[in-house]
Amino acid sequence: MSHSTTAPPKRKAGAWAVKAVAVVLAFIGIVLLGGGVYLILLGGSWYYAVAGALLLASGVFLFRMDRTGVLIYAVTWAITLAWTVWEIQFDWWAWVPRMVAPTVLLVLVLLCLPALGARRSAPNQVA
Amino acid sequence: MTANRYPLLAATALATLPLMAFAQQEAGDAASEQPTIESAPEAGEGPSSPQPGQDDREDEQQDATSPEGTQPEAGPQGAARESSPQDGASDAQALAEPQDLPEVGADWPFWGGDAQATRYSPLDQITPGNVDQLERAFEYHTNDMPEGTAEGKYSPEITPLKLGDDVLMCSAMNILISIDAASGEENWRYDPGVPNEAIPYGATCRGVSIWTDPEAAEDDICKTRLIQATLDAKIIALDAEEGVPCTEFGENGMIDLWEDLGQRVPGWYAVTAPPSIVRGVIVTGAQVKDGQAEDAPSGVIRGFDARTGELAWAWDLGAPEENRDGPPEGEVYTRGTPNMWTTAVSDEELGYVYLPLGNSSVDYWGSNRSEAENEFSTALVAIDATSGEVAWSFQTVYRDVWDYDLGSQPTLVNFPHDGDTIPAIILPSKQGDIYVLNRETGESLHPVEQYQVPSRGNVEPEYLSEEQPTSTYHTLRFDPLEERDMYGMSPLDQLYCRIQFRRANYEGFFQPPTADAPYIQYPGYNGGSDWGSVAVDTDRGVIVANYNDIPNYNQLIPQEETDWPIITDGGESGEGSGKGAPQEGAPYSIRINAGWRSPITGMPCTQPPYGGIRAIDLETGETLWDRPIGTARRNGPFGVASHLPFTIGTPNNGGSVATAGGLVFIAAATDNLIRAIDIETGETLWTDVLPAGGQANPITYEADGRQYVMIAPGGHHFMETGVSDAVIAYALPE
Repeated sequence: MSHSTTAPPKRKAGAWAVKAVAVVLAFIGIVLLGGGVYLILLGGSWYYAVAGALLLASGVFLFRMDRTGVLIYAVTWAITLAWTVWEIQFDWWAWVPRMVAPTVLLVLVLLCLPALGARRSAPNQVA
Repeated sequence: MTANRYPLLAATALATLPLMAFAQQEAGDAASEQPTIESAPEAGEGPSSPQPGQDDREDEQQDATSPEGTQPEAGPQGAARESSPQDGASDAQALAEPQDLPEVGADWPFWGGDAQATRYSPLDQITPGNVDQLERAFEYHTNDMPEGTAEGKYSPEITPLKLGDDVLMCSAMNILISIDAASGEENWRYDPGVPNEAIPYGATCRGVSIWTDPEAAEDDICKTRLIQATLDAKIIALDAEEGVPCTEFGENGMIDLWEDLGQRVPGWYAVTAPPSIVRGVIVTGAQVKDGQAEDAPSGVIRGFDARTGELAWAWDLGAPEENRDGPPEGEVYTRGTPNMWTTAVSDEELGYVYLPLGNSSVDYWGSNRSEAENEFSTALVAIDATSGEVAWSFQTVYRDVWDYDLGSQPTLVNFPHDGDTIPAIILPSKQGDIYVLNRETGESLHPVEQYQVPSRGNVEPEYLSEEQPTSTYHTLRFDPLEERDMYGMSPLDQLYCRIQFRRANYEGFFQPPTADAPYIQYPGYNGGSDWGSVAVDTDRGVIVANYNDIPNYNQLIPQEETDWPIITDGGESGEGSGKGAPQEGAPYSIRINAGWRSPITGMPCTQPPYGGIRAIDLETGETLWDRPIGTARRNGPFGVASHLPFTIGTPNNGGSVATAGGLVFIAAATDNLIRAIDIETGETLWTDVLPAGGQANPITYEADGRQYVMIAPGGHHFMETGVSDAVIAYALPE
């Protein structure tokens, strides 16, 4: 993973931005995973633990500058959308906590794509 | 449940049997002649003084009632009860005939608009077609703003009256004020000098009352009196035109309500509601500081002669017979009994005053309450105002450990029933149930359903009731909460609220208080319906009810684990503190998260709407429309206003006014807007931004041919809606 150090300055800045997003995702993922497991133990919804695990994975991949992270986040977002519709249908106020923040994150993650552009996923890169 | 859950009534009736014979005769004669005069002397030792000119008064009052004619025969019960004043009641007796009462229209002579408290005005100048042109006609300032220790404690909740050319009102600290109804110019003011230390939970004066002495000559001073009960527990009577004390009333126009209550602790006994006046008797309860200690001042209800200020009777539910004329020398009224902090409604025809009682102190523990307290807490009690005796009672919560005080002023209506009309009383509650009772008997006109509570918990299971009454007429209550109802600004804080939900004890409506874990009380103690009460458009046959839809997140804490000082953070019965109360004398204190707000964001843990307004068909109890009330403009995470114009449905306190013009005027919500709503559709047609929260009931009146809508948006500390001393009048352009 020493490529970034040899990258041109512009790319380097982009990489730092991606890593920042990755750290945020991973942090949120850890909190959601921990709290979500507790919620499951209390008899509650499985969504948060699942979403937390996926966010964490997404963060890890992104930190490695791996586009798989984007894919995982996109899947998480889609799951969130499906779950929202399933749980509360189209009560729009109830969509706010479920969809607004994940969608903001989706935009950030998609903005990472250019910075990740040169490299597909890490294994491809190696190949 | 039967309406008469009141064994004492039978006992009382028996005890007064000898008198009843006399009374029957009296009642029979009442319509035609004046036997009450004869009865007065036998009153014996009471504090009464012989009433000069009693005879004339009798005659005048006979005349006054004649339009309604048959009244005294209205019901055998009513008639029989008129008997009972056996002693000390000569003043009340002297005034025991129904009086001619002012009507709503150009005037707004009662806190609830008319004597029936319908909050319905026949005015129709402002209509759905022209309401968008409404503009501020004038703005008056009371200059009563919080100073020193009163800072952060203002919740004025003021609703003015309008009589003749004047608007009459109190300020948060009980300054009485008269202004010109058309110009807003101040006529006079009278400051009784209420000290800051008297503020109980909030500096509140919901309103004042007016009484006209039918005996006084037209230009007599104090013929029409402005009557106010104050935070420092006084009743004050002023001449409504001049603003000078009525010297023949009490001591120089003032009665001290602390008398016979025991140790004076400023703020523990305070009146925030306008007194009710029925047949010349001023009836008042008080707000007794909630949740502080078992040994709180009595919740006694007292009636005073509106002319002299003499005690006419007292209803101490702990000792109704013994203390009817006040407690014996050296004793006090029974302490810790349920109080009435809100506004009663009077039935001049029947001579009853209907008292919406609160809960026994302390609120969340009941095992040491007396049978009488269990009988009357959170009940509507009809008292015969001529005697001070209970006519009937109707309990809305059995063994209340939820602080579901009756907060709304009930409304009198002629209820359409089986092709006839029944004199009825509409009783909203904090649980959301709306009852319609026969106001002569207290019987519900619709079946009262017995709800089997999910559990009686493990704190005092033997004490709690296995069932609770619910109304089959209408309820404002929604389905029990589920985990998916949890809210937040993001999945993170929503997750936190979900964890709180799952950690709490919650099996649904009437979840008993618990100590092993937090518990959810839903609806919370803010309603359903609170002191704003409902409006009833009697022409269209529509009840307009605004309501809250918010839970509380509570937990009992063993006393040994808390060392909360008494007084610091108790709650007003009715609105309560956001944090808790020591409940001294009970084995547990109570921790309250009012509105169940997330400690992370300050936002509610449950999803909106948090409040709504609903139109209900009076005859059938069916919902005509139901909409959230209040926009998100002043609400948002971390206490930051979102400025979003969307209607989200906010918590709300304060009632509405319905008009023949087809509009409902209401502020109430935490968005600090006043709005006009089309009563047919529920659509909001007009709004204006108020300088602070409109947690007050608006009024409407006419002056010089122009219809005004007035509100005193004083703000509210608990609702976090700022503070203001403005009184704003709206009208169409001239």
